[in-house]
Amino acid sequence: MREPLIHSSPMPGLGLSMGITLTMLSLVVLAPIGALVAQGAVMGPEALWAAVSRPRVLAALGLSFRLAFFAATVNLVLGTLLAWVLARYRFAGRRLLDAAVDLPFALPTAVAGIALTALYAPSGPFGAVAAGFGAKIAYTQGGIFLALMFVGLPFVARSVQPVIEEIEREVEEASATLGASRLTTLTRVIWPMLMPAALTGFALALARAVGEYGSVIFIAGNIPMRTEIAPLLIVIELEEFDYKGAAAIGLAMLAISFAMLLAINLVQIWSRRRIGDV
Amino acid sequence: MHIDIDEIAKEFGPTTALHPVSLAIPSGALVALLGPSGSGKTTLLRILGGLEFPSSGRVLFDGQDATGLSVQERRAGFVFQSYALFRHMTVFENIAYGLKARPRATRPPKAEIARRVTKLLDLIQLPQIAQRYPSQLSGGQRQRVALARALAIEPRMLLLDEPFGALDAKVRKELRQGLRDIHDETGLTTVFVTHDQEEAMELADLVVVMSMGRIEQIGRPQDIRAHPSTPFVKSFIAA
Amino acid sequence: MSELTLVRHPAVTEAPPARRVLIGLAFATLALFVFAPLAVVFAEALAKGAGAALQSLASPDARAAIRLTLTVAAIAVPVNAAFGIAAAWFLTKFDFPGKAFLITLIDLPFSVSPVVAGLCLVLLFGANATLGGWLVASGHPVIFALPGIVLATLFVTFPFVARELIPVMVEQGRAEEEAALTLGAGGWRVFRTVTLPNIRWALLYGVLLANARAMGEFGAVAVVSGKIRGQTATMPITIEMMYNEYLSVSAFSLAACLSALALLTLLVKTLLERLHARRTQG
Repeated sequence: MREPLIHSSPMPGLGLSMGITLTMLSLVVLAPIGALVAQGAVMGPEALWAAVSRPRVLAALGLSFRLAFFAATVNLVLGTLLAWVLARYRFAGRRLLDAAVDLPFALPTAVAGIALTALYAPSGPFGAVAAGFGAKIAYTQGGIFLALMFVGLPFVARSVQPVIEEIEREVEEASATLGASRLTTLTRVIWPMLMPAALTGFALALARAVGEYGSVIFIAGNIPMRTEIAPLLIVIELEEFDYKGAAAIGLAMLAISFAMLLAINLVQIWSRRRIGDV
Repeated sequence: MHIDIDEIAKEFGPTTALHPVSLAIPSGALVALLGPSGSGKTTLLRILGGLEFPSSGRVLFDGQDATGLSVQERRAGFVFQSYALFRHMTVFENIAYGLKARPRATRPPKAEIARRVTKLLDLIQLPQIAQRYPSQLSGGQRQRVALARALAIEPRMLLLDEPFGALDAKVRKELRQGLRDIHDETGLTTVFVTHDQEEAMELADLVVVMSMGRIEQIGRPQDIRAHPSTPFVKSFIAA
Repeated sequence: MSELTLVRHPAVTEAPPARRVLIGLAFATLALFVFAPLAVVFAEALAKGAGAALQSLASPDARAAIRLTLTVAAIAVPVNAAFGIAAAWFLTKFDFPGKAFLITLIDLPFSVSPVVAGLCLVLLFGANATLGGWLVASGHPVIFALPGIVLATLFVTFPFVARELIPVMVEQGRAEEEAALTLGAGGWRVFRTVTLPNIRWALLYGVLLANARAMGEFGAVAVVSGKIRGQTATMPITIEMMYNEYLSVSAFSLAACLSALALLTLLVKTLLERLHARRTQG
């Protein structure tokens, strides 16, 4: 018989699973991010600010976050609509539509980039139509916006859809028996229930769009100050061996992203508290 | 096998699930741990089975310290509240699991395993369901399969967590008698957890009333009914 | 079907015209963003016939790229699957403080730009860094070499498998594992005979997603690979190089291969979901 041991749990594999988890997390994620933070610490706040406050950098950061925010906002609307249609209606082709929503997750960004460019360039089928109206999509900020919408499309839909499926019909029926119109029910009863999940999707789409590179660079045109996104500027600085400049932009992106995600989290906590856990 | 619980206490972080409790369970007894939810009865049962480890105190099996024995070494037949049948295995595979899990040296040959499973299916009076999956069984059938699976390992004791909790009233009555029969037939020391005082009083030889992580009273059903020792016991058995 | 819905819940559905408009909008959105891009990839690849497309895939650059991408995925995906299983086991089978924080750290790669991930690796392993300089001097360069590409791929696919497994394992609870333990089974046996059969579909889907992302990753790999033709250029990197050289058929042929992989991933996902739906009903 063994000596009495102090176990916290009889479940096997504590040491092994904890060891693998923490080791991998440290090696793959924390050490590299730590290297970036360390680089920033070595540079100091003044050098960081000097690197970030260059006009070209500010323009790129502004463009990235502005377009990512617009794209995520449009996705908030379109994604909720898609989720509603997929969860509530039965129609021919629903399964196809349901599977297609996930394609931007599965399709490599470089493939999406060249495909969107082929479609929306002035010589492409959609670009030609736009050109007929005197509009240009590819190689403008409109093209970047389109690519960011593409990569963010599934996030809101996939966050909201399960929530819609779980809403009890009786809640809506109650609203109807109380004399509310359908529109009132949707805006006053349904939307508040969907909002936390929709915001989660919005945050994910935003984070993804801010950092997106592959699908954007082909369609963007990449003109400094006009259509040059922040990740591309990092790549350019690295190719010029300006590690400090690249690190400064990278840190600025991380800091702004986290500040935005924190703000979204606070809104979420606020809306959850208001309506309780749904 | 007789079981001694010696000043067992259990804390989960800042909350105390069990204040030091002591209890002697005679060999072959059928014991009910009775109490409301949060009384610590399930924690005590899980400590006996080796599924939780006490913060302090000892568990003795036949006078031997068993506190440090792993859950596998305890050989306690455990019936879970939700039965925890393996949903991807047939009834036969569920019952055979413990025998197949034995080290090669003590593992019975295939034919012997099949014979024992068949015998256990007869014991629980469900000889025809060997090839079914748990999802194809009724609640009462699941409970009996869980019991057979626990018995298959030739356990040293039988521990049951709310064995009748998920069943409707009629099935519950039938299975109560079934458990009593199996206990009498195997002679195993049996401990079950319940919040239903009628069930405890009707079925058990010895009832342990618990509340807030403490043992309020230990006694035979008729003695507890006649002489409740604390106001809590009095109100609980009156309910 | 829609008539049935209407009859059963007359008070809680939109009027038929509104429904038609919404369904139409959904189709239009996906046509514009999903079906058209897919169609254009295959159309451009086959613009000069299937023979030209196949020939371009047989070129040395394309073959080297395919080989490299398969190698990277063959290393990164199993490693991430092992990590995902370990992390899900650790997070769902044990109770400890700081669990939410740990999950946040595991999810961190979702909110970090792939380009920034690549930058981080360059700062840690590049020839200018202390660690990187030492590794280069000892003949084991990470950046502009296979290890860097694998690390970048591991970073961007890090949460995939764990994310698929954790909800499934939380939902299934610990009782079946505990039952197996009381029946005398050891740790590996419990995992192999009880846990694995219950999580295999989620595991498969997580592995598929991680694989699609591993083979398709562009931003992080672009930063660390150095884009050396025939050596460190993965399929997506080669697509970029060919595209920039106006080798449209070659670029789109490789893109078509990756698109087919994406479609296969979605097909398997749909099949798995249908299987799961049937099971929970039965």
